[in-house]
Amino acid sequence: MRRLSIPLALALTVLPFAAHAQSIEEKAQICTACHGENGVPLEQSLPVPVIWGQNLGYLFFQLRDFKSGARKNDQMTPIADGLEQSDLMALAQYFSKKPWPNLRQANPPASVAALAQRANKSVVCTSCHQEGFAGEGTQPRLAGQVRSYLEKTMTDFQSGARGNNPGMTDLMKSITEQEVAALAAYLAGM
Amino acid sequence: MNRIGRTMLLAGAMAIALPLTCVAAGQETGGGGGGGAAASVQIPTVSQAMLNGAAKDNKNFLATNGNYDQTRFHPADGITTKNVKGLHVAWIFQTDVRESMETSPIVVNGVMYVTTSFDHLYALNAQTGEQLWHYKHDMGPITVYCCGPNNRGAAVLGDKVYLATLDSKLDAIDAKTGKLVWSSQIADPSLGYSETMAPTAVDGKILVGTNGGEYGIRGFVKAFDANDGKLLWTFDTIPENNSVGVWATKDATGRDMHRDIAAEKEALAKNGDPWKTLGGGVWQNPAVDLATKRIYFVVGNPSPDLDGSLRPGDNLYTDSLVSVDLDTGKLACHFQYIAHDLWDLDSTSPAVLVNVKDKDGKTVPGVMHAGKSGYIYVHDRKDCKLIRFSEPMVSQKERWVLPTPTTPEAGARMFPGANGGVEWSPMATNPGLSLAYAINLEQEMTYTVASAPYPEGKLWLGGAFTNVPGGVQAGNVTAVDYDTGKIKWQVKTPQPMIGGILATGGGVVFAGESNGWFKAYDANNGSILWKFQAGAGVNAPPSSYMVGGKQYIAVAAGGNVQVDSRRGNSILAFTLD
Repeated sequence: MRRLSIPLALALTVLPFAAHAQSIEEKAQICTACHGENGVPLEQSLPVPVIWGQNLGYLFFQLRDFKSGARKNDQMTPIADGLEQSDLMALAQYFSKKPWPNLRQANPPASVAALAQRANKSVVCTSCHQEGFAGEGTQPRLAGQVRSYLEKTMTDFQSGARGNNPGMTDLMKSITEQEVAALAAYLAGM
Repeated sequence: MNRIGRTMLLAGAMAIALPLTCVAAGQETGGGGGGGAAASVQIPTVSQAMLNGAAKDNKNFLATNGNYDQTRFHPADGITTKNVKGLHVAWIFQTDVRESMETSPIVVNGVMYVTTSFDHLYALNAQTGEQLWHYKHDMGPITVYCCGPNNRGAAVLGDKVYLATLDSKLDAIDAKTGKLVWSSQIADPSLGYSETMAPTAVDGKILVGTNGGEYGIRGFVKAFDANDGKLLWTFDTIPENNSVGVWATKDATGRDMHRDIAAEKEALAKNGDPWKTLGGGVWQNPAVDLATKRIYFVVGNPSPDLDGSLRPGDNLYTDSLVSVDLDTGKLACHFQYIAHDLWDLDSTSPAVLVNVKDKDGKTVPGVMHAGKSGYIYVHDRKDCKLIRFSEPMVSQKERWVLPTPTTPEAGARMFPGANGGVEWSPMATNPGLSLAYAINLEQEMTYTVASAPYPEGKLWLGGAFTNVPGGVQAGNVTAVDYDTGKIKWQVKTPQPMIGGILATGGGVVFAGESNGWFKAYDANNGSILWKFQAGAGVNAPPSSYMVGGKQYIAVAAGGNVQVDSRRGNSILAFTLD
């Protein structure tokens, strides 16, 4: 993953967390540095996901897993370290209530869409991610997610680099690199 | 992505690990239209005597599978093989939730109770289809479940209607007003416990099992007090430190499962009994034998589904028929269909109580189950011993080939596929004909294995089952003579069948299909006598009832997540002129 530009990285290390003094809105400000002021991630070529409007249970599980180390990420791990346990659900609620931004990512060509749909028929992604890939509860919405993030996530599940869902690892291991790329393009365009 | 009326993201209570006691929540109905109509239909109280007599009640449909025996045989005979061709729509009710529908409509004295995905509950006028009230469960933030946000229906007893929910709660709702009376936490949803089943109401108790075999739970059946929601007893489907069993090498049909017993014993010596996260959910209603005060249910797959290396031994009581005492929850008997299952071919279709002929031709109280393996099993109710199993209802090609390591290219191919056979779909029975009717899936799938340690509330399959692109995807409706095990008739369907089937006193059998067709069959020979295109997958069990002197057939058409059929939101009721 490309490193964030230096000024942003400095900003992240400098902002302290005074948990009891800050409201959730204030605590959430640190998130805008990457995830965007209006929910549009700053650099869409970087695999930084949309979190605005993501499903509540899923957001909570990820913050929990970043904090516990079950999921590791150079940027998120120190941020999660700075959060209190009680902040996790509050932040998840805060972002789940926001509207999902329209990133206007392009629809893929028909042949790519067809390959993505074929992969879904094989693995039945919609049996957890629901019809329209909207997700629910602890199952994330995939529709309209940042394409580079989708591709990285599926690849990281495949390799085990993302270790907080072995069931997803199993399922990603059973699809090809081409299918991963096709799914990322297809889901981003939804 | 239609989610009209959903407000669950704005839910109030945000606790994650809730105490397992009653929660007197003040959450209530979402209002909705039709409030005025409530005055014109009297909401009945349901007595235990009514529930006991359900099998002979030709007016009502009082339990998820018709009655405590779970025969799904409705005695009303107004609709016959001769006149069913004149069946037409009486009314349609469109719910607020366009997603998978698996509900069995319950009908009591002209009032119908139906549920939807995401745990909405409606009371309807069963004659006109008008809404009486609408209850929306206040869903917590953590829901972890397999196979769709489904709900298979409500239970009725006294003045309450009972609903089990995706966030592992049991709600008791006032039948007259649609307002919540009490809500009990069944188990911790963050560990993978959830409910999609309908509860069973009997003798002042509400019985529920649990989902979660894909998440490393320890399964159970629980009994709650119907009045106040207090937990009365728990039967753990995985015996503590005693799950290893007898090291069976053959399944119930006698086929070798290729177990490496030596390797398993080595793993057992190293890591101990895997009982804590062994799975064993109970997906559906138990049958109740009122005479002996015993219940019969079937137990789902071990966790993780495909990886046996982490769970040496037979993995009791997964993939088994189990009977326990209704009053105490103590084990009475069990029979394991598949020991150390590596294929997720577990037991989900509900047990059925009927009199059957034993091996000597003597009539005995029996209990039957239709497996994902594609067989109907017939047991002696007394000791759970197997009397016979049927001819296979689906292909058994390469059965018990071992899963291969997970890669995109490879994958052991086997029939049945991991959905079965018979999935959760309940059977129907016509005791007069000694016939059991089951709906099957026939899907070409691959089985692969990949080992990972217990991930605490995350999906834990231990591998993957995938549909072979372009492979066989079909289904069938099969009638089996349970006194001989022979298939009497079978009608193939173009798509895999999941949902349910109903047999009626007029000699007609009703079943819906994933492509939207709802059909009537001759119970004796399987001829298709009538059909209707519902516009969405008819993947739910039908019910029947009488009101105003006429017989109706009701079924939900909302599609299904597992077979990805076209979604809908409707309850359809049919009748004759």
